[in-house]
Amino acid sequence: MAEFAPEEILKVLEAHAVRYVVIGGFAGIIHGSPNGTSDVDITPDEGRDNLRRLSGALDELEANIRTAGEPAGVPFRHDGPSLGAVRIWNLTTRFGDLDISFEPSGTRGYDDLAARALRVRLPQVETTVAALSDVIRSKEAAGRLKDQLTLPTLRRILEEGNPT
Amino acid sequence: MKGWQFVREARLRAGLTQAELARRAGTTQSAIARVEAGKEAPTLERLVELVRACGFDLHIRMVPLEDAEWASVEELLRQSPEERVRRFETVLQLATAGRAAMKDARGG
Repeated sequence: MAEFAPEEILKVLEAHAVRYVVIGGFAGIIHGSPNGTSDVDITPDEGRDNLRRLSGALDELEANIRTAGEPAGVPFRHDGPSLGAVRIWNLTTRFGDLDISFEPSGTRGYDDLAARALRVRLPQVETTVAALSDVIRSKEAAGRLKDQLTLPTLRRILEEGNPT
Repeated sequence: MKGWQFVREARLRAGLTQAELARRAGTTQSAIARVEAGKEAPTLERLVELVRACGFDLHIRMVPLEDAEWASVEELLRQSPEERVRRFETVLQLATAGRAAMKDARGG
Protein backbone atom coordinates (compact mmCIF):
# COMPACT_ATOMS: atom_id res chain seq x y z
CA MET A 1 0.00 0.00 0.00
CA ALA A 2 1.40 3.40 -0.98
CA GLU A 3 2.35 5.90 1.71
CA PHE A 4 -0.13 8.76 1.73
CA ALA A 5 1.38 11.88 0.13
CA PRO A 6 -1.56 14.20 -0.56
CA GLU A 7 0.44 16.98 -2.15
CA GLU A 8 1.97 14.57 -4.66
CA ILE A 9 -1.54 13.64 -5.83
CA LEU A 10 -2.44 17.32 -6.18
CA LYS A 11 0.80 18.05 -8.04
CA VAL A 12 -0.11 15.52 -10.71
CA LEU A 13 -3.64 16.94 -11.05
CA GLU A 14 -2.19 20.45 -11.40
CA ALA A 15 0.44 19.30 -13.90
CA HIS A 16 -2.36 17.94 -16.08
CA ALA A 17 -4.32 21.20 -15.67
CA VAL A 18 -7.29 19.34 -14.17
CA ARG A 19 -10.02 21.65 -12.83
CA TYR A 20 -11.12 20.31 -9.45
CA VAL A 21 -11.97 21.33 -5.92
CA VAL A 22 -10.51 19.63 -2.84
CA ILE A 23 -13.22 18.72 -0.35
CA GLY A 24 -13.50 16.35 2.61
CA GLY A 25 -10.97 15.75 5.36
CA PHE A 26 -7.94 17.20 3.59
CA ALA A 27 -9.89 20.38 2.86
CA GLY A 28 -10.74 20.46 6.58
CA ILE A 29 -7.02 20.28 7.43
CA ILE A 30 -6.28 23.19 5.10
CA HIS A 31 -8.96 25.17 6.95
CA GLY A 32 -7.45 24.35 10.34
CA SER A 33 -9.05 21.08 11.44
CA PRO A 34 -6.91 19.04 13.84
CA ASN A 35 -8.45 15.80 12.54
CA GLY A 36 -6.37 13.69 10.19
CA THR A 37 -7.40 11.98 7.00
CA SER A 38 -6.15 9.08 4.91
CA ASP A 39 -7.28 10.21 1.48
CA VAL A 40 -7.74 13.17 -0.83
CA ASP A 41 -11.32 13.90 -1.92
CA ILE A 42 -11.87 15.93 -5.06
CA THR A 43 -14.79 17.11 -7.16
CA PRO A 44 -13.71 17.62 -10.77
CA ASP A 45 -15.34 19.76 -13.42
CA GLU A 46 -17.36 17.42 -15.66
CA GLY A 47 -16.45 19.17 -18.90
CA ARG A 48 -15.31 16.80 -21.64
CA ASP A 49 -11.79 18.21 -21.95
CA ASN A 50 -11.34 18.26 -18.20
CA LEU A 51 -12.36 14.61 -17.87
CA ARG A 52 -9.82 13.74 -20.57
CA ARG A 53 -7.13 15.57 -18.59
CA LEU A 54 -8.28 13.82 -15.41
CA SER A 55 -7.92 10.48 -17.14
CA GLY A 56 -4.34 11.40 -18.08
CA ALA A 57 -3.59 12.39 -14.50
CA LEU A 58 -5.00 9.10 -13.20
CA ASP A 59 -2.71 7.24 -15.61
CA GLU A 60 0.30 9.08 -14.22
CA LEU A 61 -0.89 8.41 -10.67
CA GLU A 62 -1.24 4.70 -11.57
CA ALA A 63 -4.73 4.83 -10.13
CA ASN A 64 -6.50 1.56 -9.45
CA ILE A 65 -9.92 0.86 -8.01
CA ARG A 66 -9.69 0.49 -4.25
CA THR A 67 -10.95 -2.79 -2.85
CA ALA A 68 -10.77 -4.36 0.59
CA GLY A 69 -8.97 -7.52 -0.40
CA GLU A 70 -6.36 -6.08 -2.77
CA PRO A 71 -3.95 -3.48 -1.28
CA ALA A 72 -2.70 -2.37 -4.71
CA GLY A 73 -6.25 -2.05 -5.99
CA VAL A 74 -7.75 -3.40 -9.18
CA PRO A 75 -6.46 -1.93 -12.47
CA PHE A 76 -9.07 -0.40 -14.71
CA ARG A 77 -9.13 1.23 -18.13
CA HIS A 78 -10.59 4.68 -18.36
CA ASP A 79 -11.04 7.68 -20.56
CA GLY A 80 -12.94 10.93 -20.13
CA PRO A 81 -16.42 9.58 -20.93
CA SER A 82 -16.06 6.46 -18.78
CA LEU A 83 -14.89 8.53 -15.80
CA GLY A 84 -17.88 10.83 -16.19
CA ALA A 85 -20.30 7.91 -16.35
CA VAL A 86 -19.71 6.92 -12.71
CA ARG A 87 -20.53 9.41 -9.97
CA ILE A 88 -18.05 8.21 -7.33
CA TRP A 89 -14.62 6.66 -7.78
CA ASN A 90 -12.72 5.25 -4.80
CA LEU A 91 -9.17 4.87 -6.04
CA THR A 92 -5.75 4.01 -4.74
CA THR A 93 -2.71 5.61 -6.37
CA ARG A 94 1.06 5.48 -6.03
CA PHE A 95 0.69 8.36 -3.57
CA GLY A 96 -2.21 6.99 -1.54
CA ASP A 97 -5.97 7.03 -1.75
CA LEU A 98 -7.93 9.41 -3.95
CA ASP A 99 -11.71 9.69 -3.92
CA ILE A 100 -13.45 11.38 -6.82
CA SER A 101 -17.04 12.48 -6.37
CA PHE A 102 -18.78 14.49 -9.06
CA GLU A 103 -21.59 15.49 -6.74
CA PRO A 104 -20.59 15.18 -3.08
CA SER A 105 -23.46 14.85 -0.61
CA GLY A 106 -25.25 18.12 0.02
CA THR A 107 -23.70 19.88 -2.98
CA ARG A 108 -24.51 20.31 -6.65
CA GLY A 109 -21.05 19.43 -7.88
CA TYR A 110 -18.09 21.36 -9.25
CA ASP A 111 -19.78 24.62 -10.28
CA ASP A 112 -21.52 24.84 -6.92
CA LEU A 113 -18.26 24.34 -5.00
CA ALA A 114 -16.02 26.33 -7.35
CA ALA A 115 -18.16 29.44 -6.84
CA ARG A 116 -16.83 29.80 -3.29
CA ALA A 117 -13.60 27.79 -3.52
CA LEU A 118 -10.25 29.30 -2.64
CA ARG A 119 -6.91 29.00 -4.34
CA VAL A 120 -4.35 28.24 -1.61
CA ARG A 121 -0.61 27.78 -1.54
CA LEU A 122 0.55 24.58 0.20
CA PRO A 123 4.19 23.65 0.88
CA GLN A 124 4.68 21.96 -2.49
CA VAL A 125 1.72 22.91 -4.66
CA GLU A 126 -1.00 25.46 -5.20
CA THR A 127 -4.48 23.96 -5.11
CA THR A 128 -8.17 24.84 -5.08
CA VAL A 129 -10.00 24.05 -1.86
CA ALA A 130 -13.72 24.17 -1.11
CA ALA A 131 -14.94 26.90 1.22
CA LEU A 132 -15.21 25.72 4.82
CA SER A 133 -18.99 26.23 4.74
CA ASP A 134 -19.16 23.82 1.79
CA VAL A 135 -16.94 21.25 3.52
CA ILE A 136 -19.32 21.42 6.48
CA ARG A 137 -22.41 21.24 4.25
CA SER A 138 -21.09 18.11 2.56
CA LYS A 139 -20.14 16.40 5.81
CA GLU A 140 -23.52 17.24 7.33
CA ALA A 141 -25.30 15.70 4.37
CA ALA A 142 -23.08 12.61 4.30
CA GLY A 143 -23.94 12.00 7.95
CA ARG A 144 -21.21 9.39 8.53
CA LEU A 145 -20.01 8.86 12.10
CA LYS A 146 -16.50 10.14 11.32
CA ASP A 147 -18.05 13.29 9.85
CA GLN A 148 -20.29 13.80 12.87
CA LEU A 149 -17.24 13.69 15.12
CA THR A 150 -15.36 16.39 13.19
CA LEU A 151 -18.31 18.71 12.54
CA PRO A 152 -18.45 20.55 15.90
CA THR A 153 -14.85 21.70 15.47
CA LEU A 154 -15.34 22.71 11.83
CA ARG A 155 -18.49 24.67 12.72
CA ARG A 156 -16.65 26.48 15.49
CA ILE A 157 -13.78 27.36 13.15
CA LEU A 158 -16.38 28.86 10.80
CA GLU A 159 -18.09 30.75 13.63
CA GLU A 160 -14.83 32.18 14.90
CA GLY A 161 -14.04 33.56 11.47
CA ASN A 162 -11.72 31.14 9.76
CA PRO A 163 -8.91 33.19 8.21
CA THR A 164 -8.26 30.85 5.27
CA MET B 1 -23.21 28.58 12.64
CA LYS B 2 -25.44 31.58 12.89
CA GLY B 3 -29.22 31.18 12.67
CA TRP B 4 -29.40 32.83 9.27
CA GLN B 5 -26.89 30.34 7.88
CA PHE B 6 -29.21 27.45 8.75
CA VAL B 7 -32.08 29.16 6.95
CA ARG B 8 -30.06 29.87 3.83
CA GLU B 9 -28.53 26.38 3.86
CA ALA B 10 -31.92 24.67 4.22
CA ARG B 11 -33.46 26.82 1.49
CA LEU B 12 -30.60 26.14 -0.96
CA ARG B 13 -30.65 22.43 -0.22
CA ALA B 14 -34.39 22.39 -0.89
CA GLY B 15 -33.85 24.30 -4.13
CA LEU B 16 -36.24 27.06 -3.07
CA THR B 17 -36.15 30.76 -3.88
CA GLN B 18 -36.59 33.22 -1.05
CA ALA B 19 -40.08 33.96 -2.36
CA GLU B 20 -41.01 30.26 -2.35
CA LEU B 21 -39.77 29.83 1.20
CA ALA B 22 -41.64 32.95 2.25
CA ARG B 23 -44.86 31.55 0.79
CA ARG B 24 -44.40 28.24 2.63
CA ALA B 25 -43.56 29.99 5.90
CA GLY B 26 -46.37 32.54 5.65
CA THR B 27 -44.12 35.56 5.45
CA THR B 28 -42.62 37.87 2.84
CA GLN B 29 -39.58 37.50 0.61
CA SER B 30 -38.08 40.62 2.16
CA ALA B 31 -38.42 39.12 5.64
CA ILE B 32 -36.52 36.01 4.48
CA ALA B 33 -33.91 38.24 2.83
CA ARG B 34 -33.42 40.15 6.09
CA VAL B 35 -32.91 36.90 8.01
CA GLU B 36 -30.47 35.53 5.42
CA ALA B 37 -28.52 38.78 5.41
CA GLY B 38 -28.08 38.47 9.18
CA LYS B 39 -30.00 41.71 9.72
CA GLU B 40 -32.73 40.02 11.72
CA ALA B 41 -31.93 37.18 14.14
CA PRO B 42 -34.80 34.68 14.28
CA THR B 43 -35.84 33.18 17.62
CA LEU B 44 -35.09 29.49 18.01
CA GLU B 45 -38.77 28.68 17.43
CA ARG B 46 -38.86 30.76 14.25
CA LEU B 47 -35.59 29.22 13.05
CA VAL B 48 -37.04 25.73 13.42
CA GLU B 49 -40.20 26.83 11.56
CA LEU B 50 -38.22 28.21 8.64
CA VAL B 51 -36.01 25.14 8.39
CA ARG B 52 -39.08 22.89 8.55
CA ALA B 53 -40.70 24.92 5.78
CA CYS B 54 -37.77 23.79 3.65
CA GLY B 55 -38.47 20.15 4.47
CA PHE B 56 -35.73 19.70 7.07
CA ASP B 57 -35.54 19.54 10.84
CA LEU B 58 -33.02 20.82 13.34
CA HIS B 59 -31.69 18.46 16.00
CA ILE B 60 -30.24 20.47 18.83
CA ARG B 61 -28.31 18.75 21.59
CA MET B 62 -25.87 19.80 24.24
CA VAL B 63 -22.42 18.26 24.23
CA PRO B 64 -19.48 18.91 26.59
CA LEU B 65 -17.32 21.83 25.53
CA GLU B 66 -13.95 20.47 24.47
CA ASP B 67 -11.64 23.36 25.21
CA ALA B 68 -8.48 21.27 25.19
CA GLU B 69 -8.99 20.41 21.54
CA TRP B 70 -9.99 23.98 20.73
CA ALA B 71 -6.66 25.24 22.09
CA SER B 72 -4.87 23.17 19.45
CA VAL B 73 -7.28 24.42 16.78
CA GLU B 74 -6.56 28.02 17.76
CA GLU B 75 -2.89 27.32 17.24
CA LEU B 76 -3.67 25.90 13.78
CA LEU B 77 -5.81 28.92 12.91
CA ARG B 78 -2.88 31.22 13.59
CA GLN B 79 -0.96 29.33 10.90
CA SER B 80 -1.26 29.62 7.12
CA PRO B 81 -2.78 26.75 5.09
CA GLU B 82 0.78 25.98 3.97
CA GLU B 83 1.95 25.59 7.57
CA ARG B 84 -1.08 23.47 8.51
CA VAL B 85 -0.44 21.02 5.68
CA ARG B 86 3.27 20.90 6.47
CA ARG B 87 2.37 19.99 10.05
CA PHE B 88 -0.06 17.29 8.86
CA GLU B 89 2.61 15.85 6.57
CA THR B 90 5.05 15.77 9.46
CA VAL B 91 2.50 13.76 11.44
CA LEU B 92 2.10 11.42 8.46
CA GLN B 93 5.86 10.93 8.27
CA LEU B 94 6.02 10.23 12.01
CA ALA B 95 3.19 7.72 11.68
CA THR B 96 5.02 6.00 8.82
CA ALA B 97 8.24 5.89 10.81
CA GLY B 98 6.32 4.59 13.83
CA ARG B 99 4.73 1.79 11.81
CA ALA B 100 8.13 0.80 10.41
CA ALA B 101 9.67 0.82 13.89
CA MET B 102 6.85 -1.36 15.26
CA LYS B 103 7.32 -3.77 12.38
CA ASP B 104 11.06 -3.95 13.10
CA ALA B 105 10.39 -4.44 16.80
CA ARG B 106 8.11 -7.37 15.98
CA GLY B 107 10.89 -8.90 13.90
CA GLY B 108 9.89 -7.73 10.42
